[in-house]
Amino acid sequence: MSETTEREKEITIEDLGVTFRDNAGNDVQALTGVNLDIYKGEFVSLLGPSGCGKTTLLRSVADLQEPTEGSIRISGMTPKEVRLEQKFGFVFQQPVLFNWRTVKKNVELPLEIMYYDKEERSKRADEMLEMVGLKEFANHFPRQLSGGMQQRVNIARAFGIRPEILLMDEPFSALDEFTKEKLHEDLLRIWRQTNKTVLFVTHNIQEAVFLSDRVCVLSPHPGRLSAVVDIDLPRPRRLDMKDTSHFNELVTKVRNSFEGGSL
Amino acid sequence: MAHMIKRRKSFFQKMRENEKVQSISTVVLPVLLGIVILALWQGQQLHALFHTDTFTLPIPTTIGEIFIDNLDKIGKNTVSTVVVALIGLILGSLLGYGIAVLAAVFPKFGKGGLSIIGAFASIPVVALAPVLNNWTKDVSKDASVRSMVAKILVVMLIAAADMGLNAYRGLTELEQYSEDLMATYAAKKRVTFLKLRLPNSLPYVFTALKVAVPASIMTTIVSEYFAEYITGIGRQIRENIVLAQYSTAWAYILTACLIGIASYVILMIVQSIALRNYH
Repeated sequence: MSETTEREKEITIEDLGVTFRDNAGNDVQALTGVNLDIYKGEFVSLLGPSGCGKTTLLRSVADLQEPTEGSIRISGMTPKEVRLEQKFGFVFQQPVLFNWRTVKKNVELPLEIMYYDKEERSKRADEMLEMVGLKEFANHFPRQLSGGMQQRVNIARAFGIRPEILLMDEPFSALDEFTKEKLHEDLLRIWRQTNKTVLFVTHNIQEAVFLSDRVCVLSPHPGRLSAVVDIDLPRPRRLDMKDTSHFNELVTKVRNSFEGGSL
Repeated sequence: MAHMIKRRKSFFQKMRENEKVQSISTVVLPVLLGIVILALWQGQQLHALFHTDTFTLPIPTTIGEIFIDNLDKIGKNTVSTVVVALIGLILGSLLGYGIAVLAAVFPKFGKGGLSIIGAFASIPVVALAPVLNNWTKDVSKDASVRSMVAKILVVMLIAAADMGLNAYRGLTELEQYSEDLMATYAAKKRVTFLKLRLPNSLPYVFTALKVAVPASIMTTIVSEYFAEYITGIGRQIRENIVLAQYSTAWAYILTACLIGIASYVILMIVQSIALRNYH
């Protein structure tokens, strides 16, 4: 813990609360009283069952959702300022690829929007596709790719803009276990190479423990941060670490920190 | 014996499941049906079936002869019909797309516009055509010009409604999170329109055209019935039926069919080029 406090704080979340109004006109508290500091280069998971507000928290950081209480500061700036400076990479649950663009052109999309010249766009797209192992699929169309490959394109696109902060919203939840494990390793390798801050939303305890430096456990009704668990597994993480007793102890520790009944 | 039956069954099964056989049969079977009907028509079995005679239902060879004899006149009338249908289709589609864009960008005003144009399009052409004939009386001193304007306006309304409603869907029914994705890139409204909404609407434009192209030809033909100036395939069908020249009327009906088929083939070719990247 003393090691992390010395590092530079990147995201500061104070007393954050989000209230929605549902169709019947009732206020629904999605999130309340969240306090959290995230450090530069850290891999942090937001873990919880559906309805615990983890996606709402992530969307608030990305300025896709307006908080109703409290504040978020990212290196001293508001989420909106950071978004307008195009410093976020956001990976959604679904690949969200444009099916009229080739794989490569999809990776180039944000670079086009950011006015990079043609040469630079092409160079970076090639680089990113190489990194996710899809170089030979550059000229395919998204529909010709499997779900796992599409999600890799999604990740390549997010890393292509070299974001300061990578926000991932259950990116692997729709994939099978084999593809998921492969992508976990890919993601950790890319993260190590680029050293970005990653905020990763998931409802899978093993996934959160395997990937993260810290796991933030959220509980529902109302959505709140109920525990933060340090994951002291050594880096780089290897798949066989999942078989160790320490890994299982951490999983149990995380599971026990949920509030509001067993899951 | 049971063995034989089983084998034969599996053979037909195989034929049905074979893609090559399927794609050939989708062409061959309708063509065969057409040939059978033409043969029955030529052999006058159709006439016997419908208790009619070769005067009201001329046989195909007679229609063919008249078609060839009148090629010049048919050509002129075809140009008249196609010009009206094409101008109406292009202007109407542009208008419809424009309204769809307004509706997508300013939902408050645009959605009203879409409803109005949808309401207009639900008025039958036979009612719309005479009204527009009346409205355009003062457009020009030349009857051929004001007739053409009236016909184009009817086609425009039909095409605009079809394009407007479809294009609006194409501009607004986006894949989940795609707007959020553009937001995370801080993309301006104009950029989101050009890179997301516009390309997303392209297949919907062709859905609209698949209805609008045949509809614009049909609308032109029906509008010609009511037009002040006598020209066009539709009008010739009517004039010749009134004069009891059924063979000539049938030659124009044949022409109308050919225009319809040709325009659809052209549309399909254009679509296969325009949507080649849409899988």
